[in-house]
Amino acid sequence: MRFLRRFFTRLVNSAARRTNAERFREEMEQHIAFETAENLHAGLSPAEARRQAILKFGARESIEQDYRDERGLLGIETLLRDAHYSLRMLRKSPGFTLIAVLTLALGIGANTAVFSLLYALAFRNLPVPHPQQLVRFGAQSGDEAFAGLSLPMFEELAGRQKVFSSAFAWSGDAVLNVEMDGAMSRADVWAVSGNFQTELGAVPEIGRLIVPDDVDLHAPAATQVAVLDYNYWQRRCGGAAGVLGKTIKIEGIPFTVIGVSRRGFGGISAEAPPEITVPLNAEPLILGETDIQKYLQRPDARWLEAAGRLRAEATLQRARAQLDALWPSIREALLPAGKPSAERAHFLALHLKMESGARGASALRRRFTQPLYFLLGLSGLVLLVACVNLASLTLARAASRGHEMGVRIALGASRARLVRQMLTEAVMLSLAGMVGGLAFAFWGSRMLSNLIIKEVYIVPAEVRVTPDLRILGFATAAAVITGILFGLAPAWRSTREDPASLLQAQSRVHGSETARLSKGLIVAQVALSFVLVAGAGFFIRTLEKLRAVDPGFRVTGMVDARLSARPNGYKNIDWVSYYRQLLEQVSGEPGVVSAALVHMQPGGPHEWTEEARLKDGKAPATRVDFDMVMPGAFCVMGIPLLSGRDFTWQDDAHTPHVAIVSRSFAQQLIPGKEPIGQIIEIPSQPKWQSVEIVGIAADATLYDLRQHAPPTVYVTPLQYGDDWAGWAEVLIQTDMPASAMTGRLRQIVAFLGREYVSSVGTLSDGMERSLLRERVTAMLSAFFGGLALLLAAIGLYGLMAYSVTQRTREIGIRMALGARREPVRWLILRETLSLAAAGIAIGLPCALAASRLLASLLYGVSTRDPLTLVVPCGILIGVAAVAGWQPARRATRVDPMVALRVE
Amino acid sequence: MRYFLLETKMTAKKQKTDVLQGTLALMILKTLDVLGPLHGYGIARRIEQISGDLLAVNQGTLYPVLLKLEQEGAIASEWGASENNRRARFYGLTRAGRKQLQVETQDWEQTAAIIGRFFAAKAEDLS
Repeated sequence: MRFLRRFFTRLVNSAARRTNAERFREEMEQHIAFETAENLHAGLSPAEARRQAILKFGARESIEQDYRDERGLLGIETLLRDAHYSLRMLRKSPGFTLIAVLTLALGIGANTAVFSLLYALAFRNLPVPHPQQLVRFGAQSGDEAFAGLSLPMFEELAGRQKVFSSAFAWSGDAVLNVEMDGAMSRADVWAVSGNFQTELGAVPEIGRLIVPDDVDLHAPAATQVAVLDYNYWQRRCGGAAGVLGKTIKIEGIPFTVIGVSRRGFGGISAEAPPEITVPLNAEPLILGETDIQKYLQRPDARWLEAAGRLRAEATLQRARAQLDALWPSIREALLPAGKPSAERAHFLALHLKMESGARGASALRRRFTQPLYFLLGLSGLVLLVACVNLASLTLARAASRGHEMGVRIALGASRARLVRQMLTEAVMLSLAGMVGGLAFAFWGSRMLSNLIIKEVYIVPAEVRVTPDLRILGFATAAAVITGILFGLAPAWRSTREDPASLLQAQSRVHGSETARLSKGLIVAQVALSFVLVAGAGFFIRTLEKLRAVDPGFRVTGMVDARLSARPNGYKNIDWVSYYRQLLEQVSGEPGVVSAALVHMQPGGPHEWTEEARLKDGKAPATRVDFDMVMPGAFCVMGIPLLSGRDFTWQDDAHTPHVAIVSRSFAQQLIPGKEPIGQIIEIPSQPKWQSVEIVGIAADATLYDLRQHAPPTVYVTPLQYGDDWAGWAEVLIQTDMPASAMTGRLRQIVAFLGREYVSSVGTLSDGMERSLLRERVTAMLSAFFGGLALLLAAIGLYGLMAYSVTQRTREIGIRMALGARREPVRWLILRETLSLAAAGIAIGLPCALAASRLLASLLYGVSTRDPLTLVVPCGILIGVAAVAGWQPARRATRVDPMVALRVE
Repeated sequence: MRYFLLETKMTAKKQKTDVLQGTLALMILKTLDVLGPLHGYGIARRIEQISGDLLAVNQGTLYPVLLKLEQEGAIASEWGASENNRRARFYGLTRAGRKQLQVETQDWEQTAAIIGRFFAAKAEDLS
């Protein structure tokens, strides 16, 4: 009894604690020792005693197997064992393993990279507390991109609404001159309301942030304090704490640095955080205004952007409804008196635009969301190709291991075990592929985001791209499932077969079903590759066609320099004499043919369009491009004047307003009549109510190359005051490169003392930049097309190599019967080529269908363009020939004697 | 020909093990119940003596069954010293095991009774 009780109390010492295998072996040894002792006692010799004991015990391996199977934790142990075995098997065929892992890595990585970028751009919320509460609102004219408010508008709306728990406003995206410790540079300066930083969850790294007390919007003076961005602080001050209390000069106006925000705070911008933040009422000071209140209280100047935080129970719809209800009366009350009727009408047509602010303000989102979706589709296709590739390779490999399976089944392995082991192998391949894919995705998305940022932002900006675990998991799962499915099916089938036949089937073509499936996969792969290569062809040709468009003005040999005002540079300036002096000196430089001043950046983003019409005409206004150029610009730019005259230095603020229009403008808006002398008006702009046409210029496509010769109105800025005259660009016709011109140019401008040169480039670079989307699309689709081609080649090679191995006996017989090398080689090649041809036959109609979907992205290339559809055929045939070459050669090397003996 | 033989031997072996597993467990429990805690070899010898030559081959098949019973909680084990001071693992019945033994004994006796009645009935039925 006591003994038993001891057993009960020692239940703690359960078998699972010690390794069961160890325990079993010990017990077994004990048992055999006992039996040996018995046998010895019975009179047998020691050797015989032990031998008899062992025999009586039974088949150790099999019993040990049963023993192990009794254990409950069979899952993990067998998994580990399978994993170990898979590793060994995979190491034995390094070629297959390498190819499979590489394939998966590329496929998964490409997908993840694109999706990461897309997610970061289009779906990621701002890193602020409760981003979904944020709602941006502003007043919009028509469907213009910018929706802003004047300060009285903002205060009225914020004061009378009931849906927001708080509202804040800002005036951002101003790249201004900043002087710190004697060094001048440019920074992105935002002027914000008192609760901006706190509402968006900013935390000070050192010092303090801007608080409502700093921004008293109704006081006559402004608090001149500034908060720096963390990265800006690190770059400019080396992260020194001594920056607190320092004075910096923004456009010459002193500000005291009171703090630095913590790393990661980006305000409401998704990509470009404000580098320096100042109070809202300090903006007029920076702009050189002395009467702050007069600037702030302008009722109709929509210079602010605003956002609010929704209360817990409010929704976006309710907010929209409420503010829309409040808006008309606010608008009426703020209508400035004494304005012409056209302007009044325009003001009263302003409506509120409201949208969720959860994802913040982004300059990239609008431009790149659609192309990225398209890219995602593309990379999805590539992953599909990769999966098909993997499937066919696994299929071939599983079939070739029939012998091994036969032996294992004969030795007593269960079907489930075998199948599970193949599963493990597939999973391990996918995991290895996933690891490689992660690295590739990280690098790829970085590269892609840098590409698109560089072209849009001039201040430091960053798309926070981190590989998204969700899509990675999904892609891995997809790859795993495909690999398993196609590795599983033949494995299951071969395990169901009689082990005897498996062991005999050395050179018989194993399973016609398997072979058919394999071939089908390869054909599908070739078809997909065809579609991708054809797609790449379309995009490359689109890019070529766009590049070949004649823009209508001189693009080569043109240097383009931007001028910025020094602090107080424009005080008491005589524009005409200043500019004439500048141009004279620049033109006088050696190597310079001519120079002119303009207020536009050809090739850059152009958002200045206006509605214009004939002043006394009955026709409605048409949207036209609006540009500002100074005398002589047309000549320098190589745009001929078809009739009338150019602007002159005599056209200034005191003479009647004049304009030059493009030929397309004249044809569209003034058909049949003599354009020169007509008066046009721009209803929404007070300054351009009555402008006389004095010249017609030839058509030019200055911005979007896809839009051929848009109707354009040119005016000269000297007629419209200081607001418009400064901040010009110098266009220089010269054969010298931009770098050679920069130094001399800076000197000339600096010497004149009013401005400085902020950047120098060439017009051809600018035009290239305008083709960014097309360039990126062409580049990436070419990359993906190449990837798909590579995968197809690998698949074809793998299949043919395996086929040759399987048909060794057949080839041996052929050669023994007298076939020469050539026909044998041709036999293999013919099969390769016919597979490719089948793939092309399927891929061609698919490519045609796909091109119709993409029609909006193409330019100058018809969706049925024969060249673009024929070239991929040739490429694929060529690739197939190359892929089949080596197996064909191996076939010819088959020694009939050896082949026939392998039986 | 060789392969064919290999296969039949395998299938035959499988059948024997299946039948034996259920009864082996019962035999072990009963042995432990009667003799008290024993080590594996002792159990094997005892069963061998009582069952005749059913376990003439493959004494080792006892061990997987012992493990299973232990995991089910019917028996418990502990290292101890055997008769000639050898280190061996001793198994003993737990309370749960004892109950399991009772239940299974009842089942067996019931089955045997029913089968017995069947055999008896057959003779009478003929008339």
